[in-house]
Amino acid sequence: MTLANLLAEADLRWPGNIRVCRETSRHTRGCEIECSTEAVPEFCGWLYSERGYSFASMIVEEHESQWDLRYVWYGNSEDGIVHVVTRQPLAEQTFPTLIGHVHAIDWSEREVEDLFGLVFKGHPRLGDFVLHDDRWNRDVTPMRHGTDASAPLLRCLAEREWRPLLVLEAPGAFAMPIGPVYSGVAESALFLLETQGEDVVRCVPRLFYKYRGIEKIAEGKPIAHALLLAERCNGTSAFAHGLAFCQAAEAICAVEAPGRAKGLRVLLAELERFRHHTAAIREICEATGLVVGTSQAAILEEELLSLSCAFTGHRYLFGLNTIGGLSRDFEPGHCLQLLETLHDILRRLKQVEKMLRYSNSFLDRIEEVGIVSPGDAREFGLVGPIARGSGISRDLRKLQPYSGYDGFTFDVPSEGEGDGYARLRILFAEAEQSVRIMEQVVSALPGGTVCAGPVQVSPGAALGWAEAPRGAAFHWLRIGGDSMVARYHLATPSFLNWNGFHLAAEHFAFQDFPIIMATFGLSVAESDR
Amino acid sequence: MTLDGAMFGLFFVLCCAGMLLAIVLPQQRNAFGLACTASLAAIAISCLSIRVLLSGHGLQIPLWTIPELGTLTLSLDRLSALFVLSAGIVFLAASAFSAGYMERYLGHYSLRSFSILFYALFLSVVLVLIAADVLSFLIVWEAMAIFSYFLVNYEHEREENIRAGWLMLALGEVGSISATLALLLLAHRAHSLSFSEIRAASALVQPGMRWAIFLLSFMGFGVKAGLIPFSVWLSRAHPAAPANVSAVLSGVILNLGVYGIVRVNIDFLPVTMPGPGLTALIVGSATALMGILYATVENDLKTMLAHSSIENMGIITAALGAGFVFVASGHRVLASIAFVAALYHMLNHSVYKALLFLGAGTVDMRVGMRNMDLLGGLIRALPWTGLFFLVGALAISALPPFNGFVSEWLILQSLLRSVELGSTAIGAVFAFCAAALALTAGLAITCFVRAFAMTFLGMPRSQQVDAASEARRSMTIPMGALAAACLALGITPTYVIPVLDRALAPYAVSGATQALVPAFFRAASSGLPPNFVSEFHDLGAQVGKGLLPISGLVVLHRGGERNPVVFAMSTPYTLVVLIFLLSISFAAVRFYLARGRKLVIKEPWDGGLQRLLPEMTYTATGFSSPVSVIFHAVLHPTAIEESRETIYEHFRTAIRRGSHKEPHILERLLFQPSVWSAIAIGNLCARMHNGRLNVYVTYVLIALLAVLLLT
Amino acid sequence: MDGWVVRGIKTGIKTTRYPEAQETRAGVSPGLPVFGSQSDSESTVDICPTQALSVIDGGIAVDYRRCIHCFRCVRTGDVAPLAWQSGYEWAANSPVEPDLGTTMDRKAFARSLQVLVVDGGDCGACLSEIAQLSNPYYNMHRLGFFITPTPRIADVLLLVGPVTDQMRVAIKKAYDAMPAPKRVVAAGVCALSGGVFGPSFSVGSGAADVVPVDVLVPGCPPPPLALLHGLLVAVQRKPPVAITSPAKLAEQTEVFR
Repeated sequence: MTLANLLAEADLRWPGNIRVCRETSRHTRGCEIECSTEAVPEFCGWLYSERGYSFASMIVEEHESQWDLRYVWYGNSEDGIVHVVTRQPLAEQTFPTLIGHVHAIDWSEREVEDLFGLVFKGHPRLGDFVLHDDRWNRDVTPMRHGTDASAPLLRCLAEREWRPLLVLEAPGAFAMPIGPVYSGVAESALFLLETQGEDVVRCVPRLFYKYRGIEKIAEGKPIAHALLLAERCNGTSAFAHGLAFCQAAEAICAVEAPGRAKGLRVLLAELERFRHHTAAIREICEATGLVVGTSQAAILEEELLSLSCAFTGHRYLFGLNTIGGLSRDFEPGHCLQLLETLHDILRRLKQVEKMLRYSNSFLDRIEEVGIVSPGDAREFGLVGPIARGSGISRDLRKLQPYSGYDGFTFDVPSEGEGDGYARLRILFAEAEQSVRIMEQVVSALPGGTVCAGPVQVSPGAALGWAEAPRGAAFHWLRIGGDSMVARYHLATPSFLNWNGFHLAAEHFAFQDFPIIMATFGLSVAESDR
Repeated sequence: MTLDGAMFGLFFVLCCAGMLLAIVLPQQRNAFGLACTASLAAIAISCLSIRVLLSGHGLQIPLWTIPELGTLTLSLDRLSALFVLSAGIVFLAASAFSAGYMERYLGHYSLRSFSILFYALFLSVVLVLIAADVLSFLIVWEAMAIFSYFLVNYEHEREENIRAGWLMLALGEVGSISATLALLLLAHRAHSLSFSEIRAASALVQPGMRWAIFLLSFMGFGVKAGLIPFSVWLSRAHPAAPANVSAVLSGVILNLGVYGIVRVNIDFLPVTMPGPGLTALIVGSATALMGILYATVENDLKTMLAHSSIENMGIITAALGAGFVFVASGHRVLASIAFVAALYHMLNHSVYKALLFLGAGTVDMRVGMRNMDLLGGLIRALPWTGLFFLVGALAISALPPFNGFVSEWLILQSLLRSVELGSTAIGAVFAFCAAALALTAGLAITCFVRAFAMTFLGMPRSQQVDAASEARRSMTIPMGALAAACLALGITPTYVIPVLDRALAPYAVSGATQALVPAFFRAASSGLPPNFVSEFHDLGAQVGKGLLPISGLVVLHRGGERNPVVFAMSTPYTLVVLIFLLSISFAAVRFYLARGRKLVIKEPWDGGLQRLLPEMTYTATGFSSPVSVIFHAVLHPTAIEESRETIYEHFRTAIRRGSHKEPHILERLLFQPSVWSAIAIGNLCARMHNGRLNVYVTYVLIALLAVLLLT
Repeated sequence: MDGWVVRGIKTGIKTTRYPEAQETRAGVSPGLPVFGSQSDSESTVDICPTQALSVIDGGIAVDYRRCIHCFRCVRTGDVAPLAWQSGYEWAANSPVEPDLGTTMDRKAFARSLQVLVVDGGDCGACLSEIAQLSNPYYNMHRLGFFITPTPRIADVLLLVGPVTDQMRVAIKKAYDAMPAPKRVVAAGVCALSGGVFGPSFSVGSGAADVVPVDVLVPGCPPPPLALLHGLLVAVQRKPPVAITSPAKLAEQTEVFR
C-alpha cells in the first residue's frame, strides 16, 4: 500500500484527528503525521497490526511550550517510514498508553516516565526502570531541560529499600538473584529467576545498572562530540551506530557522502558484523562448555580484530566515521588483501560450523532451548538475528536501504524454530552473507574522495538508521540554533530485544540460563546507554 | 520382696501418686509436678531395667487368678527390659521437657487431664512390655491405644487433630484384632493363655498355621509400628500431638509394634521357613523407602519427622526379616547379628527421634510455626536447640561417631552376608533390599540436611522468626541429655552389643558378641588367626588394653568362607581422630596460616545487591524439588494446576500454582479404591431397602424358607 | 569428539611469546600518540575532544588517562598528525600511591593470581578485550592469571567502565568482600578519567571515585597485551611506565575535570 493510500484511509477512519505535516527524508519515502493525543493509540495500533509496520522508537522532545511525542514506524521501501507526532502543552504531562495495541512500546514508555516524568495512563508497570528506586528519588527527571547534566544530582539522602515485584504465588517459591556481579567476564545486570526449585517460572531482567545518560550528556555539545558518544554507546557495534548518527547529521546538514565513502562504509560495517557474529559464536560455545569450539571461534575472532586494526588502525573500528564520509582512505591493494584474509577466515568458520553440527552434546544444549515463538517475537517487536531465528526476517538493509546497500545482492537468512540452534544458524549464515557483500564492494569500489569536505552545521532534525549487528538501530538527532545538539535519542536493537528475553528464559531449568543468554547475545551497554 | 520388686512397686506408686498430685495441684503448677514425678518414675523403671539387663534375673509378679482363663502375670525378662529401658529414657526426657513446654497450653486446655493421661500412658506402656499372658496383654494394649488416642487428641479444638486421632484409633483397632487373632491361635494350640505355656507348645504348630500366625501378628503389630500399607495414620497422628507426646509416640509406642513382632516370631514361634523372613524384609525395605521419600518433600517439621519414623521402623523390620531368614536356614550367628542390629537401631531411634521431636517442639513453641519454608536463621535465636537438633540430625543420618552409624552399619553388613545362604533367589531379594536401604540412607541425609539448614541456617524468612528467643533450660537440658546419649550409644558399641546379645540368648539366637566383638585382648582364646591379630595390633587395636574391659573398642565383622575379609569399625577411634584432626586444623589455621592476620567478619557475598532479601534465598521446597521431580510418579500423579492473571495479555500480575497436597501413594492405590468399592457395594446392597412393604414380606418369607430347609 | 581433538592439534600453537619476547604480529594494538614537537600546537590541542593534549615547552604532551583513540589528532586534514607509538606496554602505577614497593606483598602474588572482573558501565569493548585474554593467542592462564566470579578468592579487582551511579554499591561491596592483600587495576580510559562520559549526573570520573586504584591501564579499549602488561605490573613482574608522555607530567596536571 502506498503512502498516499495510507493517509487517505487514515483520514477516513479518524476524521479530523490526522494531519499530514510533511515528507521526511530525501532518501526514502516517509512522512510525518500529526495526530491528536486521544487517537494516537488506535492509529498506531492500526499501523502496527493491520498495515504491518514495525515499531522503531518513541522520541520525546521538550520544546519551549509543548511536548512532542514522536512514534516512528517503518516498513519496506513502499511503506516507508512514518512518524506519528502528537503534541501537548508543557503543563499536560499525562498521555494515553499504547500498551494495549502495541506491546513492543512497553519499555519505551517506562523509560520516558522515569526520565521525563510523563505519565502514560493505563500502563501497569511504571516506575523503577531506568532510575532505580533504591538510588534515585521518585521526582528526579534528568532529561528535562532544567536539569544540569554535568553535576551529580541530589538523589536519595538515605538508601531506600527496594523490594522486587514477585509474581509467583506458590508454596516455597523464591526468586534467585543473579547479578549484578555474577560471572567471569559479564556485563552488570540483575536477573531474578522466580522458581519453585526446578524450572524457572518467571525471569525478568533488571537493567540500567549501566545507565550513563548518553542522551543527556550529548545535549549542548557539538555534533562531532556527539558522534564520539554514539560510537561508544556500544563498542562492539561502534561503526554501525556511528554510521547511523552520521546519516542523521548528514540529512540535517544536507550533505551526501561521496560514493567511495558509501562503499567503504558498507565494507567496514560488514567487517564489523562478521567479527561480531564470530564473537557471538564464540560466546555460545563458551556457554555450553565446548572448549575446543570456543578456542577455534576465539582464534577467528582475534584474527578479525587484528585484521581490523591492521586495516583501519583500531581493533573495533573507532574513529572512522565522520560527518560527510570517512576520516581516512584505504589503498586498493590493502582492500584486496583484506578480502583474501576474510575468505580464509570464512572458510575456517564454515569448518567450525560443520563440526558443531555434528557435536551432539553441543546441540543437545541449544536445540529446543530458549524458544521464542514467531507470534511472540512480533508482539514484542524483536529485531535482528534473534527475530530472524523466529521467522521475522526484517532487515533494514533491505527494507530501507542506506549507504548504497540497494546496489548489492545478498540474502537475509531466516529460520522458523526460534530456539538457540536456529539463532546460531542465523549467525553463521549472516557471516557468510557479509563476506559476500564485502566481495561486491571491493570489486565495484568507485574512486574519488572519502569525505565531502568540511560541513556547515545547520539546525534541523532527522532520523538516521543502520542495521547494527544485533538488529535495527535508529538515531534521532535535532540540532539547535546554536549548532549544538538539542536532542539526541538512540533506539538500539538491544533495548528492543531485552524486552523479549524473558520469553526465552522461562520454563527452562536454571542450568540453561547462561546458554539462553549467550544465544540471545544481547548487550546491556547498548540497552542502558 | 526383692529389690527389683521394690523398684517396680516404687514406679507404680509414683505413677499413681503423680495422678493424684495432678488432680490436687492447680493448673500452673501441674506441669512442674508432672515433670518431677514422671521423671522420678522414669528413673525408677530405667534403673530396674538396667539391673535386669545386666544381671539376667527377671522379675515375676503373678496377679489375680481368673477361673478358666488362668493367672494374670507380669514378667520382666531381658528382652522386655531392653524395651522398658528405651521407654524409660524417652519418658524421662519427655517429662522433664514438659515442665517448660506445657506452658503453651496454659489457659487453653486442661493441664490436669494431660498429666493424668500421661501417667496412664506410661503405666500402660510398661505393663504391655511386661505382660506375661494373653489376657493382660490385650487389656493393657487396648488401654495404651486409648490413652495414646486421648493424648493425640489433646488439642481437640483443631479439626485435623480429631481426624488424625480417629484414624489412629481405627487402624489401631484393626491391628489389635489381627494381633489378637494371632495370639489366640497360639493360645488355642497351647490350651493356655500364659506366655510361658505358649512358648513351650510352639513346636506343635504346623507350617500352615505358622504362616497364618506370622501374617496375622506381622500385620497386627505392623500397624502399630507403622509399616506399609498401614502407615497412613502415623504421618497424621504424630504431628497432631503435643511435642512431648510425639516424642513418646515415635520413641516408645512404635517400639511396641516391634516388641510384638519380636515376641511372637522370635520368642513364641521361631521361624522355620524363609518365606516370613523375606516378607518382613521386603515390607521393611519398601516402608523405609516410602517413609524417607515423603519425609524429604515434606515442609512441616513434625510431619517430616513422622515420615522419618516410618522409615526407621522399616529399617528395623528389614533387619528383623533378614534375621528370620537366617534363623530359618540355620545360620544362628548371622541371625543373631541381624537381630542385634535391629534392636540396636530400635534403641537408637528412640533416642534420636525423641531428641528431634523435642527440638521441633521447641521451635514450634518459641517461633509459633513449623513450616520450614517460613523458618530460617534460628541458630542465632535458639543456639542450644540448634546444636542439639544438629546432633540429632547427624545421628539419624547415620554419620559417625553417633549411634545411627553403628546400627545402620551393622544392618547393611548383615544384609550383605546373604551370599552364604546359597540360594540365588533369596540372595537377589537381599541384594535388592540392601540397595533400597542404601538409597534410603542417601535420601535421609538429604532430608535432614534440608531440615537443619532450612530451619536454623540462612536468613529468617518471616517476621515471627525475628522475634524468637531461646527456650528455658528445662527444655534444653533434656535435649542435651538425649544428644549426649546419642554420642554415648555411638561410641560404646562394643559394650552395647553384648548386652543386646544376652537379651536374645534365651531364644537360641546368639553369638553376635563372639562374632562382632571378640575378646582379642585375649588372643589365644578368641579363635582369630594369629597373623590377623598381629595386624590388628599394628593398627593400634590394642589401645586401652589395661583400662578397658575385654571387648576393646573395635567392632569386627568377618566375611564368610567365600569372602574371608574382616570389616572393622570403631566409632571411639573415629571420635578421637575427628577431635584430633579438628584441633590440629584449628591450631594450624589459628597459629600458623593466619598468624599476624586479622580476622574480619563481613557480610556474605550476594552478587553486589544492595541487600539480600529473604525471598531471594532458597526455600525448603526448592531444595527438595530435584527429589520430587525424580520421584514424580510416586509423589505427584496429577498435573500441577497453574493459573495466570495478566493485564494487557503480557503483563503477568500473578502466577498461582496449586498448593494442595497430593494424597499419599498408598491412599491413592489402596485406600481410596477400597473405600470407593466398599461404598459402591454398600450402595448396591442398600437397594434392598426400597421402602416397599411387599418386598420386606418377601424377604421374611425367603428367610423362613431358608431356615426350614437348613434344619 | 575426536574430530575436535584432531582439529585442535592441527591448528597448532598460536600463543604469543609475550612477556618473554615482544609481540610483532600486526594488529595487536592501536598504539597511542607520543610527545612530539609541532608547529601548530594550539589547533592540534583544540582538536582533542577529551583534553588529553596540552602544550608544554618543546611540544605537545599527551595524558593517556584521557586519550580515547578517536584519531582526530592524526587524521584531521588541517593539522599535522601527532607522532605515534605502536606499542602496548602502557600500564602505570597510580600517581596517588606512587610507591608500591613497601605496600606490596610480593610473595602473596608470586604464583597464581585470581582476577575479579567488574563492569562499572563500560561500552562493551573493554570487556571484549578482557574476554580475548583467554583465547589461544594471549592465553593468560600460562602466566598464572585466572578469572574468578567471586571476590572471596580474588586478588585483583579489574575494573572497567566509568562507574555509573547505580553500580557504586556493587563495586564497593565487591572490593570490601575481597580479602587483603588485594590490588585494583583500572583498565580503559573510562575507568581512569570517566572518558567521554563523565563526570556527569549519572557517571563518576572513573574507578578512583569508589575504590583505591593501584594500576592504571589506558586505552580505548586497551588491547589484550596492554591488559596483560597491566596485570604483570600489578604483580611486579614488569616495570610500570608513565601515564603521560613525557613522564613526570602527572605531577603537574591536576586530577580530573
